[in-house]
Amino acid sequence: MRIADESGLKELKNSVLQERDSLRPCITICGGTGCHGYACEKVIAAVENEIERQNLKDKVSMRVTGCHGFCERGPIVVIYPEKVFYQRVAVDDVPEIISQTIINSKIIERLLYTDPNTGVKPVHEDDVPFYNRQKRIIFGNNGKIEPTNISDYIALDGYGALCKALFHMTPDQIIEEVNKSKLRGRGGAGFSTSKKWAITRASKKGMKFIICNCDEGDPGAYMDRSLMEGNPHLVLEGMIIGAYAIGAHEGYIYIRNEYPLAVRNVGIAIKQAEELGLLGKNILNSGFNFTITVHKAAGAFVCGEETALISSIEGKLDGPRPRPPFPAQKGLWGKPTNINNVETLANVPLIIERGADWYSKIGTEKSKGTKIFSLVGKVNNTGLVEVPMGMTLREVVFDIGGGIPKGKNFKAVQTGGPSGGCIPESLIDLPVDFERLTEVGSMMGSGGMIVMDENTCMVDVAKYFLGFLDDESCGKCVPCREGIEKMREILTNICKGEGEEGDIELLEEIALTVKETSLCGLGQTASNPVLTTIKYFRDEYEEHIRNKRCPAGVCLDLISYSIDAEKCNGCGACVRPCPTQAITGEKKKLHSLDQEKCIKCGACFETCKFDSIIIK
Amino acid sequence: MPPKKTEDKKIGATLVVGGGIGGMQAALDLAASGIKVYLLDSKPSIGGVMAQLDKTFPTNDCAMCTMAPRLVEVGRHKDIEVITLADVESIKGTAGNFTLKIHKRPRFVDEEKCTGCGLCVANCPVHNIIYVTPEKDKIDISDEHAKIMNSIIKEYEDVEGPLVPILQRTNETFNYLPEPVLRYTADKLNMPLSVVCRIATFYKTFSLEPRGKHIISVCLGTACHVKGAGRVTSALEGELGIKRGETTKDMLFTIETVRCIGCCGLAPVLKVGENVHGLMSKTMVPELLHTYEKA
Repeated sequence: MRIADESGLKELKNSVLQERDSLRPCITICGGTGCHGYACEKVIAAVENEIERQNLKDKVSMRVTGCHGFCERGPIVVIYPEKVFYQRVAVDDVPEIISQTIINSKIIERLLYTDPNTGVKPVHEDDVPFYNRQKRIIFGNNGKIEPTNISDYIALDGYGALCKALFHMTPDQIIEEVNKSKLRGRGGAGFSTSKKWAITRASKKGMKFIICNCDEGDPGAYMDRSLMEGNPHLVLEGMIIGAYAIGAHEGYIYIRNEYPLAVRNVGIAIKQAEELGLLGKNILNSGFNFTITVHKAAGAFVCGEETALISSIEGKLDGPRPRPPFPAQKGLWGKPTNINNVETLANVPLIIERGADWYSKIGTEKSKGTKIFSLVGKVNNTGLVEVPMGMTLREVVFDIGGGIPKGKNFKAVQTGGPSGGCIPESLIDLPVDFERLTEVGSMMGSGGMIVMDENTCMVDVAKYFLGFLDDESCGKCVPCREGIEKMREILTNICKGEGEEGDIELLEEIALTVKETSLCGLGQTASNPVLTTIKYFRDEYEEHIRNKRCPAGVCLDLISYSIDAEKCNGCGACVRPCPTQAITGEKKKLHSLDQEKCIKCGACFETCKFDSIIIK
Repeated sequence: MPPKKTEDKKIGATLVVGGGIGGMQAALDLAASGIKVYLLDSKPSIGGVMAQLDKTFPTNDCAMCTMAPRLVEVGRHKDIEVITLADVESIKGTAGNFTLKIHKRPRFVDEEKCTGCGLCVANCPVHNIIYVTPEKDKIDISDEHAKIMNSIIKEYEDVEGPLVPILQRTNETFNYLPEPVLRYTADKLNMPLSVVCRIATFYKTFSLEPRGKHIISVCLGTACHVKGAGRVTSALEGELGIKRGETTKDMLFTIETVRCIGCCGLAPVLKVGENVHGLMSKTMVPELLHTYEKA
């Protein structure tokens, strides 16, 4: 059934709303990849069975939504309309949820979230501290929508912005509106979206393309995946508006193969949109044609770079190439091509629908709107958080993230993936936006925020990123290929205790050369992890080199495990997991660890419940 | 036995083997210190491969600009004797006094008299060398596999740049990319095998080795790294007795590492097939493997 025009869409929305009773209880279960890791599919099946068994099909509805963001506490169940928030829900809890909360409106205390700092147990989703400090304008609908059901999206005014754009705005007006909103690319570099669009629009030569970049390769970031999985129509809508603005009739979604659920959901979404005439030929009878093809990536970090991405779609392997010409002038198959990140496109419908004036009130002077961060690592509330630009790191890590687990000390936060840097505790009050992060030597990147505590070794972190980049460097230009490898070698030596005086200076020198002379963004930013860790944690490097010590207790060659005589109560739990039988001792007596046999695997450390294994 | 007197005698001459940029510079440096240099190259001319490069690290100078002055200098230097089209056959002696046997292949042109005018090149009647198409290697592929490949290739007939999706499907079908299948694909798509292999080895998705029934992908993203993914990986390796990238003998498990599977909230994470297992620890590994062994 095709929608004929703008009023047709409104009618469809009204009929969807009429069919639905807004007061009828609805159980929403997070079906994001994170919650799948907690086997949420079993909970989903249990809810289905229970509704069937209690014969409640007419009274209760259920919805399997996309990611809610609070991955730490999965599987997450939210019960509408009150938005009762249950976390860590197990299969056995399901009958109780249905009979107590749904039928008798009773709250089940033990499933509520407990704020570890205050002990308060908020009942409703909006009161959970993790959520109430956020501004979820893009991500918020994830919890209300079944991603495979276009009606859910339309019921929330979905595709309204597309109608506005197609029937009430000219392409130039759209670009002007986006320009006024000061929207900047969320993929990393923060280039002005409207400028990119305007350049592509200005190319008069025949065919043009728009590409949505969902090759989210930065380790530690997964907001694009969650948007694609949880609200694919939002991205599609943004993409269609973008295509209309620049005059493209064909689009590609370049999506990571490691994201099977996102590939599936976006495929379904495209099909549904085509069936309703929101995509394809003559969209809503406006005369505008636009088709989208999904291109599954095959797994290469460098293909997130736009010129490499284009050559990958073409089936070639040319890797990145020098710019100009920019893709906006000469891109896919030599035609003008506009490439936007998933999150950027997700911002577009909001700007069109609610206006640039509303949008530009959020954020800082040069960075407008919100940004989704994946707050992960050594932090209590891990998950995806959407905050206005300009919020301080402290607020994100401590107020939303709930601080560091086990009362450990905060050490640094790493932003911007392998191209970013580590920001130390002294800069914790830094407002997070494009400019500020670049000023301190890091970058926004795609929005990964990896929190590190006192047990994270910064030299090891730098080594880790260089290892990543060394593997992913395509090898086309020499500074990146050779420079990264050399730096990795030096760092590996430092971590092994073979570091020498002068290594730090040599690292700095190579890092600057690689930064200045590499061909594409991968190499140009590859030095950031090294430079920032040296800048802020030089003492840790010196400790490794001069005293052959790893203060954080990470670098295997520089540490040893031992047993704390005061804390060990001889429970014997560590004896069995030890693969080399290095730990011996009688029950209920102090155990001893044979340094000769110990291979520093850390099994005892993980097993001990009394913190009696010491790493030095 | 003390060495003979004659062998003690140092000769003031050197031989540099290979007339690339390194060889030329070495020859020039030696000659500048007053030593007679023989510069030997197996090609018809010195210069090596540098001329094929565009820019050089780290100064971004063009390669020709670096080597051209050296070419000229080597050619003109009194103390450098260039021996081209030659190979070293044997070396005798000790440092300071070597005797070499050099095989010089014929050039069919008298080098002493040649002025390099190029007339012979223009006048040679046999400059069109006839290229004989080599016989194609027979592709050793079973009928069944050929049939599967035909249907996959047909599916992407109209796709521009079909190689990556075809290889993705092939990889899914066979769980890896068998060599005959790659040869067959290259033949069908009328592409050099090298192009197919370049794609097949560049992307992480593809495997050229047979893989196990359960593919364990350990996430080595940043969040997983700081939360101890390394320990989980070594536990897996220890438990299965294989290294990352390898497959157990019973073809049950393969360990692979991936750079972030986007479940950073549950770090450290691993995937077995499509199932995500979060908040892993070293101690959970044996039980996890056991579940899949039974499955």
